Amino acid sequence: MTTAVLDHADELFAALAEPNRRLLLEHLGTHGVATATALAAELPVTRQAVAQHLAVLESVDLVTSARAGRERRYTVHVEPLTAAASWMNHVATQWDARLAAIKALAETPPTS
Amino acid sequence: MEQDRVERTVRIAATTERVWDILTKPEHIGHWFGSGTPAAVDLRPDGVMVLEPGDGERYLARVVKVDPPHYFAYRWASAYPDVLADETNSTLVEFHVAAEGEVTRLTVCESGFASLTIPADREAFASYESHSRGWTEVIRNIADYVEQGAA
Repeated sequence: MTTAVLDHADELFAALAEPNRRLLLEHLGTHGVATATALAAELPVTRQAVAQHLAVLESVDLVTSARAGRERRYTVHVEPLTAAASWMNHVATQWDARLAAIKALAETPPTS
Repeated sequence: MEQDRVERTVRIAATTERVWDILTKPEHIGHWFGSGTPAAVDLRPDGVMVLEPGDGERYLARVVKVDPPHYFAYRWASAYPDVLADETNSTLVEFHVAAEGEVTRLTVCESGFASLTIPADREAFASYESHSRGWTEVIRNIADYVEQGAA
């Protein structure tokens, strides 16, 4: 990790808010490498829609692509995703601990 | 932006007033938030609340709203120790306290992560477990957050 991974987190979350894009990411991850044509064959969307979703995902650095002959081959780029999600998980875990502490304090009778 | 939030709920066998005291009184905040030292709290809108999680850092949170015993909100700049929280550097923490039959339901919601910029030197804590998890699970977790936020 050399760059501030969360510096475009709003775009990252917006990109992931679309269910078809999440589905696309999962399929792409299963394949490792795939073209828009191959992905469109598996998903309930057109090749054109797949290409647009891939462009959005690439703009937030969640997928990378390389030209191979007449088509582009796409791969998932995991780091931005895991960094953002692990941070959210970290925050959630901290709140679990704090809420448990609040509960323990509140359920102990006051000593006055 | 409602898509980026962490929400947690706990049910507590105590009155709403008791839970409110734990949430807002300096000696209690010191305990549940971390170090054990009573926290300095100016419990009114725009008042400053000094949070010390016990890692040697101090965070200058700013109280947003106080509505006893049901709602308490503050902003804190969790990536910027010693910097007073404002709209650009902080997340919003909201507590909802509600009676639920014999118990009290306490919900905390922290939101506003997406608009934050985390300085590069604070990333270690931001990505501490990023390599130990399957990424498809990660997508589902993010989806959960996103969908909770949309609800």
